[in-house]
Amino acid sequence: MQDNSALNVNGINVFYDDFHALWDISLEVGQGEIVSIIGSNGSGKSTLLNAIAGQLIPRTGVISYFGETISGLPPHETVARGMALVPEGRRVFPRLTVFENLFMGSYPSKARKNREHSLKNIYELFPRLEERQNQMADTLSGGEQQMLAIGRALMSEPKVLLCDEISLGLAPIVIKGIYQKIKHINELGLTIILVEQDITRSLKAADRAYILLEGKVVLAGKPSILTEERVKKAYFGI
Amino acid sequence: MPNQFTKVKWIILAALTAGLGTVPIWGTDYAMLFFMLFCIYLALAQMWNLLAGYSGLISLGQQSFVGLGGYTLAVLSSYYGINIWTGVGLGGLASVLLALFMSLFIFRMKGVYFAIGTWIFAEALLVWFSNWAYVKYGSGLFIKPTNELSMEAIYAAAFVVGAGSVALVYILLRSRLGLGLMAMRDDDQVAETLGVEVFRSKLYCFLISAFVTGITAGIFYVFQIFIQPYKAFAIDWTVKLVFMVIIGGIGTIEGPIVGALLYVLLSQFLAEYFSVSMLILGGIAIVVILVAPKGIMGTLQEKLGLEVLSPRRF
Amino acid sequence: MEGLAQDILNGLLLGGLYAIVAIGLSTIFGIVRLVNLAHGDLMILAAYLSLFMAAALGISPLLTLVAIIPIMFAIGYILQRFLLNRVLGEEMEPPLLVAFGVSIILQNFMLMTFTPDARSLMSDLSLMTFALGGNLSVPVLYLIDFCIASAVIVGQHYFLQYTYMGRGIRAASDDKYAAKLMGVNTQNTYAVAMGIAIMTAGVAGVLVGMTFTFYPHSGPQYLIIAFGVVVIGGLGSMKGTFFGGLILALAQILGARVFGPGYQLLCGYVVLLIVLAIRPQGILGRG
Repeated sequence: MQDNSALNVNGINVFYDDFHALWDISLEVGQGEIVSIIGSNGSGKSTLLNAIAGQLIPRTGVISYFGETISGLPPHETVARGMALVPEGRRVFPRLTVFENLFMGSYPSKARKNREHSLKNIYELFPRLEERQNQMADTLSGGEQQMLAIGRALMSEPKVLLCDEISLGLAPIVIKGIYQKIKHINELGLTIILVEQDITRSLKAADRAYILLEGKVVLAGKPSILTEERVKKAYFGI
Repeated sequence: MPNQFTKVKWIILAALTAGLGTVPIWGTDYAMLFFMLFCIYLALAQMWNLLAGYSGLISLGQQSFVGLGGYTLAVLSSYYGINIWTGVGLGGLASVLLALFMSLFIFRMKGVYFAIGTWIFAEALLVWFSNWAYVKYGSGLFIKPTNELSMEAIYAAAFVVGAGSVALVYILLRSRLGLGLMAMRDDDQVAETLGVEVFRSKLYCFLISAFVTGITAGIFYVFQIFIQPYKAFAIDWTVKLVFMVIIGGIGTIEGPIVGALLYVLLSQFLAEYFSVSMLILGGIAIVVILVAPKGIMGTLQEKLGLEVLSPRRF
Repeated sequence: MEGLAQDILNGLLLGGLYAIVAIGLSTIFGIVRLVNLAHGDLMILAAYLSLFMAAALGISPLLTLVAIIPIMFAIGYILQRFLLNRVLGEEMEPPLLVAFGVSIILQNFMLMTFTPDARSLMSDLSLMTFALGGNLSVPVLYLIDFCIASAVIVGQHYFLQYTYMGRGIRAASDDKYAAKLMGVNTQNTYAVAMGIAIMTAGVAGVLVGMTFTFYPHSGPQYLIIAFGVVVIGGLGSMKGTFFGGLILALAQILGARVFGPGYQLLCGYVVLLIVLAIRPQGILGRG
């Protein structure tokens, strides 16, 4: 069966010890799409991204990436294949400079050759980072750290970008700016998965969306058919 | 049904304790020696476990109290002709004072720093005593009892500290202090917000363990008759205690009992091959930490719910 | 006042040796939050290896470093990768106790294999000195110790600051989760870090063996020196390690001068305990 999708999650169940976090989750992301995964705290969004990235191993089910099964591979293998995760809470390396953080982004051997080129692109995308390139990452503002986290992920020349709650704790105008950049990156061909609590923002940006509740997919489809009413119901489990 | 089991359990325990206490009556001289050493190591191990298993204080310096307790006894009995048992008691007192002094420095330290701080104190004491004319430098001192001491008397003393230490820990853990300790073990900061006085609880345990260690050391040296700095203040003491408690089961009351028994058995078998025995002990301890970090009794407790001396109240 | 200047000079040079003794412990503690209690014993192991290699091949102990360096790296890598990585977790006790176990095993292994006799890595350099003018003479050995120690420490600093692997090590110590997302294989990274740490311990061991006599049980005394340097100088900075080494060496030498040679170690311990009590993060450490 030909699999044209960038990412195909098929019936995965993920556990934290005995806690059943994800129940039979299936979803599909086509190449070049922006897909949103929406849900409240505890719905399993981050767990899902971590499972896709390889930080967690699903007990059952299969995750495939451009046709290749990747479930069970550790993060450094998924990264080598072109997947990058912008983690929840930014998690920039506080004791490294902006430049060194970006440098670390090109750690996978394939990305090292194009490091200078990638760096230039990131600085074009986020001029603020170039200004602050020799500053310690923990001296940056929230928005700048988010840009750094995204830039760092982009340094590995990914084909698929996973974004975990990039709007968390940021001012609306900053969020707007970041989403503009996300759209821009997507137009350049990158497949993007957005995990968000902010329903409106992520629906606006997405080609398709999945709503999660307590570890299960309760609603899915194109934003046009997902009315605010339906989404709110699914989100809150009414 | 639980009640019947509990009754049987206590009867068996009482029988075992009585058996241990009466070894001089029914046992050979060798058995007396064996169980005397067992009682001594049991007391030392219980104290180390009280610190590491319940108070979150890993001490790599119990030998400070061993040495000080022993030397206090030696000096008092040898130079001033003080009664042996008084000397032992004063050795315990000296150890408490030392612990109090040490706490000024090391109780500001966390975790690893605390551990190494205790070790450094011990090393400092080793150097100090080795260079001190008053205690005849490194040549060592003799313990001179003012009257003839029978082996039975020494055994009785060892039995008292051995069984007493188990009883002490049991009672302690069932007290208010113990409740605080168990809470602290799980989560320091939460316990503090609930009003548990973390600092004070830890300090009390440290002082208590110093006292019992000092006294036990005194009894040990009454038996040994001779004390030298490089042995009394050696890290070897800690090594043995660590292994006993890790293998027996850290954080359980039964653990040190099992550990002490195993250690005395092993050291008797390998008496001629000291280095080999230490090597084996080290290897076993590493394997235990990797495979069953809770030790023998801890793993049994976890898998089978087997708890003989439970500090729990229900 | 005679000899004070000489003592200070000796202290300065010895400080370099102490710094390299400490750098391995400092690196691993700063990166993996693991106190390698076997650090000193691994140093002594290297000294013994050097002893037998030098005797068997009839070469100077310094030359044995060519082999000792990769051997010690391998030992450190294997130790971390297959043993210590398994017990790294939230609690601090298991790795501490496993390292303790390794320390005891090593000491007794060396005792059984190499006998308790005092040993030394003798060479022509041991007794050489050259005059510096003004009544000062420089023990060549101390100078060599200082130079090699400096080279190793500076070299390691550059490695950690500017290479991919070095930055990967620092990133993994900052945020293991995020480092994994960068494609860093943290199991491997920690093992490399330990390999480097034990490698420097190996060099330190050879230098120590050339400078002082050693026994199978000499390990812990160097562990305490290493710890002293880290405490006094602070964790994680090259300057701090040199500074700590300097202070400790001076404390010992000047202490011996004032109180007598038997109190040399004690003075070091006292200074250490005072710093631990007043400023545990080290004089140059980050608060």
